[in-house]
Amino acid sequence: MTTEAKTHAIDISAMQRQNQTLRLEDETVALTVNDLELYYGDKRALHGVNMTIPKNRVTAFIGPSGCGKSTLLRCFNRMNDLVDSCQINGEIILDNQNIYERAVDVAELRRRVGMVFQKPNPFPKSIYENVAYGLRIQGVTKKRVIDETVEWALKSAALWDEVKDRLHESALGMSGGQQQRLVIARTIAVKPEVLLLDEPASALDPISTLKIEELIHELKKDFTIVIVTHNMQQAARVSDYTAFMYMGDLIEFGVTDTLFTNPAKKQTEDYITGRYG
Amino acid sequence: MTYEQDHHSTHISQQFNDELEQVRTELLAMGGIVERQVNDAIEALIEGDAEQAEQARKNDQIINDMELMIDEQCTRIIARRQPAAADLRLIIAISKTISDLERMGDEASRICRHAIELAEDNGKGRGYQEVRHIGNLVRQMLQDCLTAFARSDAEMAYKVAKKDKSVDQEYRTAMRTLVTFMMEDPRSISNVMNVIWVLRSLERIGDHTRNMAEHLIYLVSGTDVRHSSLSDIKKTVRQHDADERKG
Repeated sequence: MTTEAKTHAIDISAMQRQNQTLRLEDETVALTVNDLELYYGDKRALHGVNMTIPKNRVTAFIGPSGCGKSTLLRCFNRMNDLVDSCQINGEIILDNQNIYERAVDVAELRRRVGMVFQKPNPFPKSIYENVAYGLRIQGVTKKRVIDETVEWALKSAALWDEVKDRLHESALGMSGGQQQRLVIARTIAVKPEVLLLDEPASALDPISTLKIEELIHELKKDFTIVIVTHNMQQAARVSDYTAFMYMGDLIEFGVTDTLFTNPAKKQTEDYITGRYG
Repeated sequence: MTYEQDHHSTHISQQFNDELEQVRTELLAMGGIVERQVNDAIEALIEGDAEQAEQARKNDQIINDMELMIDEQCTRIIARRQPAAADLRLIIAISKTISDLERMGDEASRICRHAIELAEDNGKGRGYQEVRHIGNLVRQMLQDCLTAFARSDAEMAYKVAKKDKSVDQEYRTAMRTLVTFMMEDPRSISNVMNVIWVLRSLERIGDHTRNMAEHLIYLVSGTDVRHSSLSDIKKTVRQHDADERKG
């Protein structure tokens, strides 16, 4: 650093570094989507989507209802397999492997790619058991390991301080916002690589929403996060990259700052500024 | 992304349309008042009309009030509507433009003050040709800039920015001439100094007009062209044009 760059003890060159804009090309790739098409019966819900999800970043999917954003999100851990009449073409690559290959163990895939839904869905068990559940399923039996992981997961989900004295009380007695953070703790307890969030805050009050958003920001250090949201301001606040989808097409995908100040496509502009589509 | 003149009036929320339309109309109205004030100041000076100068100076208060009012409206829109994309750029551009307009109003008042002094001293003559010439250039710039705003015309805004360069050149030439006057006739110094301040104000009005043009280019193209060279501004505007044609 040169002396010229120092004014009033403020390191100007450091400020410039912070301001460095993100570029998709510079990112490490977590997931690659190639020509993904999805049919529900005869209806084509995704029209050949191509994109890459950058690692350790928050990617938001926005778009009007029925545009395919949740459908696309659910493709990342094969949740659509549970839907009859759903047919998928194309591929999604995670760690050099197409997750739609026959050989893929879906349960293991869902451990690596965890998901949180709109409505908090804690199990009717204690707070502790909710978080320990995934570990027990994996066959972890050592109490010390489970204790440590539960504490780590609850701390990571910014819930520890609120529940540490009542770990063995029922999770159903928690507030909606706490339940949602508990579900996130449960999901991260099995150390996934990717965290899929489908409208994680839409059933919560503004303060709980902010807590979830803050949590997302913290979690991206350890996980790749993909979030679907109807709330555009939320996408603008939490995400590094935003994808705008419309009628099953990926219309625009880019750096959130650019997409919200100077979108390239008219459809994106119309949607984010609240115009007639 | 195409930015059209009536871009702000196609929201689902009619109320939001109205708010944006209103703040945009107020901006153009404020621009009109500043334009008139600049015209009046130059005319008062050249005609040696102290009364007109005094009158024009009073307009400054209206301009200041408008700045506050428009800025408040911009803040309200940001707080309540969280505008994005072109809407956000519109608000930002307006908020910056009004502060340039307000500064132009201040410069016009300054011209009026010197016009009054010159009229009282009966110091008409020396340097007036330069004032008229640069004054006309600046007036034209401001007029074009406001038209460009009304039409959301980035190409026209670029031409305004370009014109500022000739204002700067004319200003330097005029300075040399006036310095020569003062050396030849030291008794003229106090009057010529008044004229120099006037020219300085006109040159500043030119700079503020260029800033306005740059805000408009930002609004239309999404690229911040402040502190860019004219050739870079040209590139931005042409690139935007080409993108628009491609759709």
